[in-house]
Amino acid sequence: MIKLLHVEDDADIREIAKMALELSGDFEVMQCECGEDALALTASYTPDVLLLDMMMPGMTGRQTLEKLRENPVFDAIPAIFMTARAQPNELEELRSIGATEVISKPFDPMSLSDQIKAAIA
Amino acid sequence: MSQTETMQNKVAGYLTGAVLATAWYGSTAALLTGLPAQTVPLAGAIVISALTPAFFLRRRKKFAGQQPIVSPAQQLRLLKTHTMVNLVDTNNLLIEVNDLLLDATGYSREELIGKPVSMLYADASAPLADEIRDLLRQGKGWQGQTPLRSRDGTTCITQTTIMPLFDENGAWIGSISARTDITKTTQLLAERDTALTLHELRDDIWIVDEASETIDYMNRAAKRRFGWSDDSYAGTTLTQMAENHECSAIYEACLSLKKSGDSFRRVNIAVGERTFEISINWLHRGTLRSRFLIMLNDLTDRVAQEQQQADFISMVSHELRSPLTSIKGSMGLLLSKAAGELTPKAEGLLEIAHRNADRLVLIINDILDMEKISSGHMDFEIKEADLSEMVREALRANATAHQRFGLNIKCNGIDTPNMVETDANRIIQVLTNLMSNAAKFSKPGGTVEITVNKVNGGLMVSVRDEGVGISVSDHHKIFQRFADMSNSDRAVKGGTGLGLSICKVIVEGLGGTIDFESREGYGSTFTFTLPGKLRHGGTDIDAPILRNVG
Repeated sequence: MIKLLHVEDDADIREIAKMALELSGDFEVMQCECGEDALALTASYTPDVLLLDMMMPGMTGRQTLEKLRENPVFDAIPAIFMTARAQPNELEELRSIGATEVISKPFDPMSLSDQIKAAIA
Repeated sequence: MSQTETMQNKVAGYLTGAVLATAWYGSTAALLTGLPAQTVPLAGAIVISALTPAFFLRRRKKFAGQQPIVSPAQQLRLLKTHTMVNLVDTNNLLIEVNDLLLDATGYSREELIGKPVSMLYADASAPLADEIRDLLRQGKGWQGQTPLRSRDGTTCITQTTIMPLFDENGAWIGSISARTDITKTTQLLAERDTALTLHELRDDIWIVDEASETIDYMNRAAKRRFGWSDDSYAGTTLTQMAENHECSAIYEACLSLKKSGDSFRRVNIAVGERTFEISINWLHRGTLRSRFLIMLNDLTDRVAQEQQQADFISMVSHELRSPLTSIKGSMGLLLSKAAGELTPKAEGLLEIAHRNADRLVLIINDILDMEKISSGHMDFEIKEADLSEMVREALRANATAHQRFGLNIKCNGIDTPNMVETDANRIIQVLTNLMSNAAKFSKPGGTVEITVNKVNGGLMVSVRDEGVGISVSDHHKIFQRFADMSNSDRAVKGGTGLGLSICKVIVEGLGGTIDFESREGYGSTFTFTLPGKLRHGGTDIDAPILRNVG
């Protein structure tokens, strides 16, 4: 089982992603609704992969990843961003801070698990 | 007064009026600007030329009987030494010309006397000569600028006053013209206009002496930016400007231009908190004193406006896609039976809803792309990538549609890598669009064939279908926006009518070409080419890595 931490402020999208990933049977999903909660949770929990929404109130996905990367434990953990935004410069920046993959919204729930597995393979 | 004296008085009066009017016109036109420059010189000249002869005659009559200090003949001679004078008869034949006119035109007196005055005018002035003659016949004078043609074909510009002459009985007997060469004045006025234009330009202008690196000139906008009045910038060097006004980049650009030996450079530079496009001309050829002509175009507001536009696109994109993610995601899960079995009717209705959510996503993507194209923000990220893999990616994105229509998909030339320098994600978008169109317009069970070929150092991709084809009458508009809006099938087939126009912008933006062949009832083949290597034109290309997974 792949331990995945999903950080997303939209409750509906959280529910859909959790259902889609757990349906595949390959993921154990933990979820937070903001970057601050994710930082608190990761004090005692280390996932195998991060799935981060980019645009969230408070800490953005990018800021959340930068904070997590300050902890050496999270230095090598793959990070996948989900974004509804389409700004090329921002996506470039995400890759420059170590994003493994960027998945655009709306995503296909039935192929989400395959996409994540392909990105971290 | 004798008849001869009266005639001489009249001529002297006209000539004095003409000379005074010409002098008035020349001096006021050079001194005034704006609306007064257009009205005051002309109005004043007309008044002077009209009143002076009358004043002259009245003065002569007042002093009639007294011995004049200077006789009219002497005055006429005096005037003739300061202006070009000619007399013509009613047939416009020259009957008298003075030495100044001969000197200016290069003709001898014998060559002119008895000849039409039109030989002194440039050909284009013929209508003007006719117009003047009509005025003179009516007893009216004329004043204005006329080009005077010399014997050697050169032309000088003259300020001219022409007055009619009448005999004792009031019959028109000809005219007298007084001309002053204003070629130099005209040139000076033109130079003054250029200088004024430079001075009033919205862009900042600096002229810098290359040797001393001091600023020779700054226009109004430049002085205002640095808080200077008049010539308080005089003696300031580029180095001082760099130290005091955070514009060292301009100094460095000048040095760099000089070092390169080029004459012109355009760079974007931040000066303080503002962004400028700086154009530098190094004026060093054909002059003893080399100078830099520097023009600063303030881009700050434009950059801010572009950022606002980008932010708006980003916001719209986010606000529309987020709810669509939930809608499409929920329906996708329901259709995959994640929440249990569905009745056939419920499943059918859900499929309709899901398909239309897909359409909505495509519409949003197309509109956002068109917005980027319109605002010039369609950027590309160029990297070496495998076109075969892009085809496979597009096939995966279209798999559902291909299954729905029961299509037979054939692929040629993608078993081995086809490396190309391009924006992979944008090419996947093009391929997805072409494959989607092929599927939409195919008959159920039809074949869609995708072929990749190496051509002229580049690659050529074709997507062929056996669908309904495109009627010849629609061929010309196929890459136009909303090309299929009139198609009654559009509601059924889906699409915004923007897809192919976006494909064209993308392919051409990546250095390729796109075209199609189609026969109504037999299908269509869309083909695009990509160059193997792109020539980077200096445009910084960065781009999306977004992937359509919906």
